[in-house]
Amino acid sequence: MTFDMTTNRAVALASAVGGMLLVFAQDVYPAWSGFHAWQYTAALTLAAIAVVGYALGARKGTDGDVGTRIVIAAIGATVVIVAGIASGLLGPDTETVARTPGTVAPLPDVGAAGFFPVADPATIERGDAHVEIRRRDGSSVDIPPGARRFVGTTAIETTPEVAAYVEARQPNGSRLTITQPQNTSFLSPVLLFPERVPIGGVVFPADGFATPAIQRQIKAFYFSKAEVAKSTHGTPGKEAVLLAVDDENGKLIQSGIGIVPSGADATIGGIRFRVAAGTYPALLISAVPYPPALWIGGLLFVGGLAYAYSYARPVAA
Amino acid sequence: MPRYLGLVAALVALVAIVFTVKLYFGASGPPASRLAGGGGPAMLAGAPAQSYPVKTLDGATAGLDRYRGSVVLVNLWASWCAPCRSETPALERLYRDERGKGFTVLGIDQGESTEAAGAFAKQMNLSYPILVDEDQRYGRAYAAIGLPTSLVVDRTGHIVRGIDGELTLAQMHEAVDPLLRARE
Repeated sequence: MTFDMTTNRAVALASAVGGMLLVFAQDVYPAWSGFHAWQYTAALTLAAIAVVGYALGARKGTDGDVGTRIVIAAIGATVVIVAGIASGLLGPDTETVARTPGTVAPLPDVGAAGFFPVADPATIERGDAHVEIRRRDGSSVDIPPGARRFVGTTAIETTPEVAAYVEARQPNGSRLTITQPQNTSFLSPVLLFPERVPIGGVVFPADGFATPAIQRQIKAFYFSKAEVAKSTHGTPGKEAVLLAVDDENGKLIQSGIGIVPSGADATIGGIRFRVAAGTYPALLISAVPYPPALWIGGLLFVGGLAYAYSYARPVAA
Repeated sequence: MPRYLGLVAALVALVAIVFTVKLYFGASGPPASRLAGGGGPAMLAGAPAQSYPVKTLDGATAGLDRYRGSVVLVNLWASWCAPCRSETPALERLYRDERGKGFTVLGIDQGESTEAAGAFAKQMNLSYPILVDEDQRYGRAYAAIGLPTSLVVDRTGHIVRGIDGELTLAQMHEAVDPLLRARE
């Protein structure tokens, strides 16, 4: 064994450990876009070249008995690194899937469908809706708010997004149908505020809906608790929604603008509104390395190292 | 190192790598035709029809599942919707003609009060069952992109067709007659 081979072994082991840590990082921070960048793939490729290059030489005995035995660990590291390269190169970019309550979203990259549960006003205010992922084989995975689950080669987590459940009534109490012509879910009373609109230097989540029975179009802006605290309107400690009521021509009607605190009633532009503001989950879907490959590769690496150093013959004096 | 150990490790590694890479090319979801969201009611053909308990005009609670075993023409409507008003006489006629054959029309009002739905039913002299879905759950689950929206549900509770817009009596017959004949 030469000094050069000892150095090569150290470089190979460092590359293996570094590469594997980079791959395992995908499971810890799966949404980071850097995993799909060429620099990430290049770093893993260099690590794989260092490991495989060393292993090819060591297999022939150029690094003595330890080197011959360490080939198993090198194979394990290569499996993990290739799994990381495959995920970074071939896995889809991180995607957010938001749907209204009571609808289903196809998730082709997962080979499953996301079932967004029906949510009443109280559920929106509490923000505790769970999303269910159903796979083709009939199995399902429940994802509570803020949790992350691994399904095949994807990590799926729920992120709370601002939402508001809106009820609209005529002055006599008769309920009005809510429609969202610009939304994929036309008949939904739940606003998901997909737009961001700057007002007075502050960016507010914004959405819109209509009450076709009385030909009104309503713009809605979400006020967080922090924004409510800064303003003179709303109820401190509660979210609120600012509503602006337009006629069928898009012209603001008289007394057609006001703030509705969450859980309270307010009459704006002749319509009695009740709003429950809070959150509803969206799915954040990210590619991750295939878990069995990580397990197999990790076990081969650890087992291979143990085998190499436990059974290595002492160097003859 | 025994030669077989290296070979086994290499083989395991090769299988793991090939399987891992193949996974990214093999991922595929459920058929889009069975999922709601963005495609309109026509995309729901073949999917199980969702049922939610909502109010009836007399204040009781019922859902679509009450009619399991019958062919059901589900009609989502609202009293302010002019095409809904226009197609209502044809729905009533279809119901009266075919109700003895294990068939019903089920009108589901979207987002209005029981009073408004009841007043409309009385004004239009409707005899088919009406549900009042104040929270518009059926509209969301059935991917309505407008009103009226109609769905033909077979005796096993699966959606056969989803149709956006107003239907004539002939179009209604065209949609439900094959299912009614299948029983005869």
